[in-house]
Amino acid sequence: MTELQATLAIALNTFRESVRDRVLYAFFIFACLITMLGIVLGSLSIGQEIRIIEDLGLSVIAIIGGIITVFTGTTLVYKELDKRTIYVIFSKPVTSWQFILGKYLGLAACIILVTAAMGLFLVALIWMVDPLHQIQLHLPWLGGALGLVLLELLFVLAIATFFSTFSTPIMSVIFTLSIWFIGHLGSSLLELSNMSQNQMAKMILSGIYWILPDLAGLTRIRLELTYMQPPSQEILSYLVSYIVAYVVLLLGAAAVVNERREFP
Amino acid sequence: MSGEDVITVRGLFKDRVSNFLRKRIRVLDNLDLTVRRGETYGLLGPNGAGKTTTIKILLGLLRPDRGEINLLGAKPGDHTILKKIGFLPENPYFYSHLTANEFLDFASQLFGLDRAKSKEHNLELLKRVGLAEEWADRPMHQYSKGMLQRLGIAQSLVNDPEILFLDEPMSGLDPIGRKDVREILSTLKEEGKTIFFNSHLLPDVNEVCDRIGIMHHGRLVAEESIANISRGESYKALEDFFLAKVEEKKEGGDKDD
Repeated sequence: MTELQATLAIALNTFRESVRDRVLYAFFIFACLITMLGIVLGSLSIGQEIRIIEDLGLSVIAIIGGIITVFTGTTLVYKELDKRTIYVIFSKPVTSWQFILGKYLGLAACIILVTAAMGLFLVALIWMVDPLHQIQLHLPWLGGALGLVLLELLFVLAIATFFSTFSTPIMSVIFTLSIWFIGHLGSSLLELSNMSQNQMAKMILSGIYWILPDLAGLTRIRLELTYMQPPSQEILSYLVSYIVAYVVLLLGAAAVVNERREFP
Repeated sequence: MSGEDVITVRGLFKDRVSNFLRKRIRVLDNLDLTVRRGETYGLLGPNGAGKTTTIKILLGLLRPDRGEINLLGAKPGDHTILKKIGFLPENPYFYSHLTANEFLDFASQLFGLDRAKSKEHNLELLKRVGLAEEWADRPMHQYSKGMLQRLGIAQSLVNDPEILFLDEPMSGLDPIGRKDVREILSTLKEEGKTIFFNSHLLPDVNEVCDRIGIMHHGRLVAEESIANISRGESYKALEDFFLAKVEEKKEGGDKDD
């Protein structure tokens, strides 16, 4: 119980820090404004207004949510070191895993809140543009798509958290963005590997494909959901469990790295 | 004073590796020291003497290269021992987004204390360190350095510690702030707390400490009770003692080299 108490205290502190940061609101407003561009783009299409607003909205949530995740996640541990607040934490009976898990959960809560707020804005926008649109029928599918965006963001956050335990923020941003991008290459990596003549390149490319979660596959399922097409349960559960396992592994590794470090 | 040893350090060594050229620099060099229960022990020394490193090793924030440490019968970093310890870091920044109430609640939760009980206790602590009630709900980025220092002392007391480690608790404070901190330390001393603190400010050390240790180049070059040095008089005698010991060590150091 005490162990959970410390973890939750760190999570609450991290959540407060994130939601009290004005930059977050700037990103949120920016995301809303871009989503509203969907009205203009939608009006250029014939009968596809809602479709375009929805697609653009979900992409904006994924991208802006990703930017928030990368930039806040990569400074997660660094800020505690830089501001020397880490001394307050580790001079108390707090373990490394409590610290890492608390930091992760706090920022995850903030990302969930921002994603939900952007999602609500998107639904409100669709309703305003076309009040006759049967949004209630579409809501579960949109919710599912948003859930997948969130899952991806939580994965990116785990990568950022891992790198933030031993790297500078700039390097952590570069590493996290690289893995995020490569994860989106998905099966293209396998195709590239098959096309390659070089045995070493073949091994590396297919290795990366099998090691990293297939984020491109996740995006594909998200698109299917917006077309109200039920995804293959087998693939969905495989991807979800792969990503969850990945998050657990990354947080565990971050806790081990943090455990070994000193605080000069 | 019961005289039981609560902090024992024997043959402590610590090297720091410089970022440039990866050169090893000795920070602690065969350090020995002992602090007894209920004692207020002041660790003095010029900049770079190794005072902060000593505190950080005692708290488990740094690992020694060699040496033995006994802190309340256990090793540094042991969680059962950390529950009995309070710490004020040097130049505390804390979390500028939190209010004093939120920060003390955060510190209490890290110790796993009961929220309702600690809430009352924390309010008392704020009064005790002289942080007016109207500041308790204001974010810390509005605080002056002196207020942060007082809040820092309050957070170091949330768990009612047996040993209090204070790293330069008076630094950057104006004379009134220093007087307030001295008074807080005197009260804690009367309550029987063991206080271990680093300081440069000899008048404060003279007034608050029972015993002092002087560090130079990572070694303890002298240890003496304040009563024997200044005999209740001004801090001038302490200053002379301090300078004499540091000078002595410098000359001795030259010979060693």
